[in-house]
Amino acid sequence: MGLDLDLTAPDLTLAWPQLIVFVMTVVLLFADAFVPKAQHFATLTGISLVGYIGAAFALVTQSGQNAATFDGAFRADGLTVFLSLIILVAAVATVVISASYLQNGEQQLGSDGRLRIANSVPAGEFYVLIGFSVFGAMLVAAAGNLIVLYIGIELSALATYVLTAFAKRRLTSVEGAMKYFLLGLFASAILLYGMTWIYGVTGSMDLDRIAAHLAGTDAGDGFTDPALLLGLLLLVVGIGFKMAAVPFHFWTPDAYDGAPTPVTAFMSVVPKAAAFAAAIRLFVQALEPLSDQWTTLWAVLALVTMVFGNVVAIAQRNVKRMLAYSSIAHTGYIMVGLAAYTSGGTIDDPSISSLLFYILAYTFMNIGAFAVITYLQQRGVGMMLEDFNGLASTRPLIAVAMTLFMASLMGVPPLLGFYAKYYVIVAAIDADLLWLAVTIVVASAVSAFFYLRIVAVMYFNQPDGRPLALPTRLLSGGIGVLAVATLLLGLFSSPIIDLADQWSGALTVLGRTAGQ
Amino acid sequence: MLDVGLDHFLFLSAILFIIGMMGVLIRRNLIVIFMCVELMTNAVNLSLVAFAWNLNSIDGQAFALFIIAVAAAEAVVGLAIIIALSRRAHTINVDEVRTLRN
Repeated sequence: MGLDLDLTAPDLTLAWPQLIVFVMTVVLLFADAFVPKAQHFATLTGISLVGYIGAAFALVTQSGQNAATFDGAFRADGLTVFLSLIILVAAVATVVISASYLQNGEQQLGSDGRLRIANSVPAGEFYVLIGFSVFGAMLVAAAGNLIVLYIGIELSALATYVLTAFAKRRLTSVEGAMKYFLLGLFASAILLYGMTWIYGVTGSMDLDRIAAHLAGTDAGDGFTDPALLLGLLLLVVGIGFKMAAVPFHFWTPDAYDGAPTPVTAFMSVVPKAAAFAAAIRLFVQALEPLSDQWTTLWAVLALVTMVFGNVVAIAQRNVKRMLAYSSIAHTGYIMVGLAAYTSGGTIDDPSISSLLFYILAYTFMNIGAFAVITYLQQRGVGMMLEDFNGLASTRPLIAVAMTLFMASLMGVPPLLGFYAKYYVIVAAIDADLLWLAVTIVVASAVSAFFYLRIVAVMYFNQPDGRPLALPTRLLSGGIGVLAVATLLLGLFSSPIIDLADQWSGALTVLGRTAGQ
Repeated sequence: MLDVGLDHFLFLSAILFIIGMMGVLIRRNLIVIFMCVELMTNAVNLSLVAFAWNLNSIDGQAFALFIIAVAAAEAVVGLAIIIALSRRAHTINVDEVRTLRN
């Protein structure tokens, strides 16, 4: 047995942002137990926000770096920074919008027309689980080998399963969690089996070494190796489950519908971002020499996902379910970025940067939409279209914010969502995938129906006079900030896309040099 | 004497994986589905260790240890969710729990 173990001390300075989130989560665990009840909520919220913002600053100082430590298992490169920042934005937004939910509990409209608390939620555990999930997702973004990738995905997912079941007295919450859990586990097993075959064929867990090995094998037999293709297929299925791509999406509507709404906002972004991080690391970095095969697979999946998500969303009268299908559709749009990757990965290849920008845009508009639902749920459980009746006359600002989020999800020009779709379409056309670009446009036109239906209900129907609990300032402020970001960030999209371009460019260039 | 090689391990693990997969798709009892997923995970462990043995590398064995640890954590979360569900719905049959269908 000749084992060459190179034992050098890891450079922990590269892992600062992730360590800050981890330490913050542990501090939260202790604070939950020891902080007196009067300051409990404010202290825990404060610790969370300070932790995430501190980690974001630590990340910004790392930008432009391209380093690895822990024998290549942990990477601090552009992709890590960009995706981790998106994840941290989502984490801060979740903490802000869940404040009123955590303080008031889940409201239920009693038969006497009064609101009562149906499910009170322990704030400490909520924040701790969010913290672990964020930490796991950041690990995926920073993963340099298959083990770290898997541990990150599982850590992120396990915490989310628990969060889904958080309103444990409500059957739908537990039922959604059960489906999410079982299918998530099933997907993990498939993903693992795929990783095993890749490891067995290439003989390495390290992503760069896998790429080097694949680039080194003779193009003739290396690419037709059935074991390799089996591994590739299993990876696509496993990751497809995690990112809720059709036909691996069955858990999505039930889990999104059942989970407490702030959790839905969180899980529609962070585990999805983690899944796309895993996809970029696995496919673009490690399996780059096989890109001809996997781009075709992703292109077909993207087409099916976009069409299915948008068509089924039309039939939904439950707004949370509607947004669940809409998030499936958006997974399809994001996947186009992956499908548009052109082999060889030149610096000008806009595919991966368009994908990264789309996840950023999706974070703002989707969490915003769910924040408005959180706001409305203060008038009792049950989130039907009718609950939006006449919102424009009772809460005009919230109605404006919701209109902005819906228009942005649809892709109306000056808003963030339009720019995101624009870059993805450009990437698709650059990659000669004109049919995918056309599908995006048609699917967006179809989606106008169900997005605008909410806007119409808000502005044209009469309010039904049901009580609305007072929201916290944090929630209202959070909705405001997200709405402004959705409105303005699109106008500043070119510096962001340049940044994403540089970072993903660095990634692919690295992959090629490792291959030589 | 039959020489046991990599292929035997891979076949065994593939068979275990498929049995587990069929179990997840066919069985309706939550506990049994959960056991079948564990079977799939252990099939993966077997092939990982076999590959590691064949490649003379330690990575696969280390990965298998990590997977076992993660599976333990999954059991904790999974059984907790199943208990919470059986308290609410008084059943652990997947087909009988479908309040969320529209």
